[in-house]
Amino acid sequence: MKKFVSFLVVILASSMFLAACSSSNESNGESSDDDKVVIDFFHRWPNEPRKSFYDEKIAEFEKQHPNVKINVDSVLNDSYKEKIKVLVSNDDLPDVFTSWSDTFAANLVSSDRIMELNEIMAEDTEWSGNIIESQYAGFTFDDVTYGIPFTVDGKAFFYNKQIFEENNIEVPRSYDELIDALDQLKKAGYETPLVEGLTNGWAISHYMGTIFDRVIANDVLIKDYNVETGEYTDPGYIRGLEIFKELTTYMGDVSTAIDHEAARNMFAAGEVPVLYMQFAEVGYVQDAGDVEFGFFNFPEVEDGDGRPKSLTGAPEGWMLSKNAPPEAVEFLKFLTSEETAKEFTKADGQLNAIKGGVTEETSNPTSLEAYQIILDASDATPWFDNAVDISIADVFMRGGQELATNQTTPEEIMAKVQEAAAKLRNQ
Amino acid sequence: MKVKKVKITPILFMLPTVLFLGLFIYIPLIQNFYNSFFEFSVFSQSKEFVGLTKFQQLFVDEVAIIALVNNVKYAIISVLLQVFFALVLAAILEDKFFRRFAHVFRVIYFMPVMISISVIALLFGFVYNPQIGLLNSFLELIGLEQWAKPWLGNSTTAIYSVIAMSQWQSIGLITMLFIVSIQKIPKDLYEAAEIDGAGKIRRFFSVTVPQVKEATFVNLLVTVTGSILVFNEPYILTNGGPGNSSMTLAIHMYQTGFVKDDMGYASTLASLIFLLSAIFALIQIKVSKTGKEE
Repeated sequence: MKKFVSFLVVILASSMFLAACSSSNESNGESSDDDKVVIDFFHRWPNEPRKSFYDEKIAEFEKQHPNVKINVDSVLNDSYKEKIKVLVSNDDLPDVFTSWSDTFAANLVSSDRIMELNEIMAEDTEWSGNIIESQYAGFTFDDVTYGIPFTVDGKAFFYNKQIFEENNIEVPRSYDELIDALDQLKKAGYETPLVEGLTNGWAISHYMGTIFDRVIANDVLIKDYNVETGEYTDPGYIRGLEIFKELTTYMGDVSTAIDHEAARNMFAAGEVPVLYMQFAEVGYVQDAGDVEFGFFNFPEVEDGDGRPKSLTGAPEGWMLSKNAPPEAVEFLKFLTSEETAKEFTKADGQLNAIKGGVTEETSNPTSLEAYQIILDASDATPWFDNAVDISIADVFMRGGQELATNQTTPEEIMAKVQEAAAKLRNQ
Repeated sequence: MKVKKVKITPILFMLPTVLFLGLFIYIPLIQNFYNSFFEFSVFSQSKEFVGLTKFQQLFVDEVAIIALVNNVKYAIISVLLQVFFALVLAAILEDKFFRRFAHVFRVIYFMPVMISISVIALLFGFVYNPQIGLLNSFLELIGLEQWAKPWLGNSTTAIYSVIAMSQWQSIGLITMLFIVSIQKIPKDLYEAAEIDGAGKIRRFFSVTVPQVKEATFVNLLVTVTGSILVFNEPYILTNGGPGNSSMTLAIHMYQTGFVKDDMGYASTLASLIFLLSAIFALIQIKVSKTGKEE
């Protein structure tokens, strides 16, 4: 017994020691060595050119604010989604970090650890008013804004102008014309006139979000995309999945084995005439090859009940942790200033939500054309994987892969979706 | 009752290990079991007690069944190739005739073990690439182009392609372990067998196999539990796809937790994985009765 007691004492003493160690390294923006304010900055661009751009901006900001030290960390897309969840669950959020809009932002906001920005925005309207109004929507919940939009984006079919001209193919204005065009391209010798990296679930979800928006009435979608009311019983979903399946028949075997980046390289190399891509990728395509390309929005689906001309796309922006120091707000304003936006467009080519950020001086005609499409779009449809609950999106994304490999039918997928939706409603 | 004097030295020696084992293995393990009775999300700070619901969910989860089947496939193929074939390989390398070239082969077989699995998975991504991949190009070269396929994009071949890569990577390590074990076999056993007129194959089965029993047991344990825990290879190569065709339990657990944000069910899956590997380990220890003979 005595042995056991002394053993316990030792265990307890040492666990206290360990506990003391682990609690000493909470920094969260409070002052540390030399009374410097440390800001943790987390973004999702470890690749060029954007990584260097932010590194330079950080250096510039630190120079202007000698009392500030910025710790930067960055990981790529999918890892970012996972890492930020871990950080938020541990109450370890960085002070300034990137966020997608809609459900992604809403999830983060539900943690109650994100800073409300209404007051900050009201105090400095010169800054906050210089951001395209409509882009705030994806970051605003119950009239409270939690994020500042920075980049804007849209998704459209990129097509190889030269190949279209050589084969006398017009830019399709309806879904039937699109299929017609793809058939002609196939006849002209392009085995896979359309391609996509279907190993990326998000690429599938982008297709589906757009297709559903074309074939299903908007009020039905609004009802279904809400976890509390979603039923997914509209016949339009089956139709939408059939459309997706039909499109995958033009993608060939290769599509389920490659990722989106590989698909993009095939387009840039002129091997594939059509690819559904984001405007954010214009720069990559231009860097990777020298094809001349144009865009067209996903065409209208005849007798579809949805919105024929809406554009799929949503902004990305910055959020602050609730405990972020005032200097982090300064840094946020610096990141979303007109000057930064101009340099950003020049360096990176991506379109952004800052008025005056995208102009003839800062970007090329192709990007300007894309920017105009975004500004002119009748409505914006959020990315599907951000518009619906992830457990629903997951069924659609994996189902999409199975449709492409003929393992399942649209009806089977919808049965699973309805099951998942019922579970969410009952939560 | 005689009170023994407590010696502090042995406790102090054991303390770091006990502490770290407790802190990083046993406490999380118990915590995980505890968590599987709750419904909770990473975003919220509240947990809701749901009793055994999450365990019931396990029985109707089609994906978990697919994953389990894939893990079993993994285990069977790994045992056949990594344990049986690696033993044969080791015996060949240790054979008198082969010993001259043995170190060259040993280096070749062992090389993949030293490369990080993430790097290997990325490399095999290129090997399996349907258009420019080494494998399809090779098949075309030898006139078997009808066999060429998008290996990772085809729901029937995806899981086997992943398993194949794992074998390629791990066989070197297991072979090495067997080689070490074979080298410890007393030479006179072989000499006696040879005098008795036993051929090479007979010597392999009658001398080598029984003599490396301990090593076989360790290797079996490592490969079978490894197959139940496998995550990296399929995650990097296919992410469980297309569809769920190359899903494994670990990926399913990871996605349930960190993608679908159902932490309670992810904990349940983790408990299942723990139980399975513990059961397999126990069975093997029982069956081989290792360490208890003589």
